[in-house]
Amino acid sequence: MSIFEGILTGFQVALSLKGLSFVFIGVVTGTIIGMIPGLGPITAIAVMIPITYGMDPALALLLMAGVYYGSAYGGAASSILLNAPGESMAVPTTFDGYPLAKQGKAGKALAIAALASFTGGTISVVLLTLFAPFLAKVAISFGPAEYFALMLMGLMTVASFSSGSTIKALISATVGFIIATIGIDSQTGTARYTFGNINLMEGIDFLVIALGLFALAEVTSLIRERKERSMFDSEFGSMKLSKAEVKELSVPVTRQSLLGFIIGVLPGAGGTIASFLGYITEKKLSKKPEEFGKGSIVGLAAPESANNSASSGAFVPLLSLGIPGSGTTAVMLGALIVLGVQPGPLMISDHPDIFWGVIASMYIGNVILLILNLPLIPYISKLLKVPKPMLISLVIMFCIIGVYGISFRTFDLFLLVIFGIIGYFMARMNFPAAPMLLAFILGGMMERSLRQALTISDGSLLIFVQKPISATLLAIAFLSFIVPLLKTWRKKKSSGDGEETNSQAS
Amino acid sequence: MINTMNKKMGIILAVISIIYLYFSFTLPEYPYVPVDSDAVPIVLGFILLFLSVLLYFSKSEENEEEKLPKGEGKVILAVLGFVLMFILLLEPLGFVLTTFLFISINSRFLGYKKWVSNIIVSLALPLSIYFLFVSFLKIQLPSGILPF
Repeated sequence: MSIFEGILTGFQVALSLKGLSFVFIGVVTGTIIGMIPGLGPITAIAVMIPITYGMDPALALLLMAGVYYGSAYGGAASSILLNAPGESMAVPTTFDGYPLAKQGKAGKALAIAALASFTGGTISVVLLTLFAPFLAKVAISFGPAEYFALMLMGLMTVASFSSGSTIKALISATVGFIIATIGIDSQTGTARYTFGNINLMEGIDFLVIALGLFALAEVTSLIRERKERSMFDSEFGSMKLSKAEVKELSVPVTRQSLLGFIIGVLPGAGGTIASFLGYITEKKLSKKPEEFGKGSIVGLAAPESANNSASSGAFVPLLSLGIPGSGTTAVMLGALIVLGVQPGPLMISDHPDIFWGVIASMYIGNVILLILNLPLIPYISKLLKVPKPMLISLVIMFCIIGVYGISFRTFDLFLLVIFGIIGYFMARMNFPAAPMLLAFILGGMMERSLRQALTISDGSLLIFVQKPISATLLAIAFLSFIVPLLKTWRKKKSSGDGEETNSQAS
Repeated sequence: MINTMNKKMGIILAVISIIYLYFSFTLPEYPYVPVDSDAVPIVLGFILLFLSVLLYFSKSEENEEEKLPKGEGKVILAVLGFVLMFILLLEPLGFVLTTFLFISINSRFLGYKKWVSNIIVSLALPLSIYFLFVSFLKIQLPSGILPF
């Protein structure tokens, strides 16, 4: 099937009445979830999984794509209106978005964010359409050694690019991998670390970990802020842009859409790096850098198009290799597997309807987001008036339904609470949670391909370095692990006090 | 000197990795399997042990733990208690009743004062979710003591 035929098949699904209505529901729900501080795309997708249970996979994916884009935009809206970025990716949006809102130009800021996201999303979906099938073709020749090396590299780069201490990120990833070893070993049938508990035989469901670490743990910060009146009350303003403004934005937005896509395709470097990098490069290239941070429209548009573009770019390795490169795509992978779809190089030939359906749904999700949210956003933002105490109760309830609707076991609910507690302490001690979730998801796959590769080579580790692709990938993985560690060590030696940290802007 | 966060966490993680390693070494072995089920856990256990030693000796980024404002710890613990009650009562009492109790009590406890709207939301929401799940999505939530 050619790319063109494929896309047509995809659009047939996406443009049906059912398809459109699911994208619509997804976009609105996603926008609302994304607006709630602390809840970002990861939580939004995780909460939707039990709802899509038993749905036609193609339609379920349309819903997911809507939720995905909606939550990214909702995050931008709360950054602009409340100066409350839902997650690290939306932080640069506050730099110029919130000043604009304070000047009474909230409407314009939201319109710019929507247009920039739309452009970023659309450009990168076009690139995804062209690039993913190509990469899948290459990936068909991959054996277990290459897969193992690739996943290890993805994990290492996520750990070393995450904010704060590299050691903590690596610990987080190792613990995630350790949790993945709980359950029946698929190759020998040995029960590992189940302590005779039947509930642990199948291992821990990833949704338990995702909702626990990300949603339930965030509830505690909502509890602390429950008395704060964070409502947006200054003037909303018009949402119209002038021709001069559109002209001023067009070049930076296109540039950041392309850059964002490239960053998104690289494993590990996701939306956060893209949006910070987008902000910094546009500030350097701008003729009016002094306006940045005071309400520059370019400063608002650049990170928005970069992070949306990177988020779609991250689908390239997910769809063509079956390997998630970030926390969000890891949850997306889980969602796909729950629906009975295994992404990977064979997906295009085995399930062309679903592969192209996903891509088509991204085009549609983007368009609907734009035409829907522009007029609706003033009303949707009123939902932020839901009193915090009520909101906290509702978020907890959704986490519980999410997990219970998958397994129907109260045991998993207790696990959910345990992961919520772990996530709470991780956040307080600056351990990043995304590497843990990603390692948990990749862990099972990595162990399988490692053991397959070693079975082929009869136990010799040389198989990983004899194959050029795997050797290169392992070298990159090793470097991304060792360089940040050396940097910390050298800094400590030279400055003596060790006060300087290697926390990057990511 | 175990007065810093990194040192405390380093020790806790080292203990965890040793326990994990202990269980890894007790896993049964099978003949004729090139890589047995204990191989990856043993490697992981040693990596974690190594990293916890590194963390113990790393000096950077200390004292970053935020202190909770007074009384907030108790509030969080109370909410945790409500959540545990929610889970324990979910199957015996049923989804609608338990969720109603949870939302109304938890919201009131956290400072939501309007009783009427509290009751309306905490009754209408679980009911609509229940019927959405059971009749539309065909996902059976526990009905408990209620007859439907």
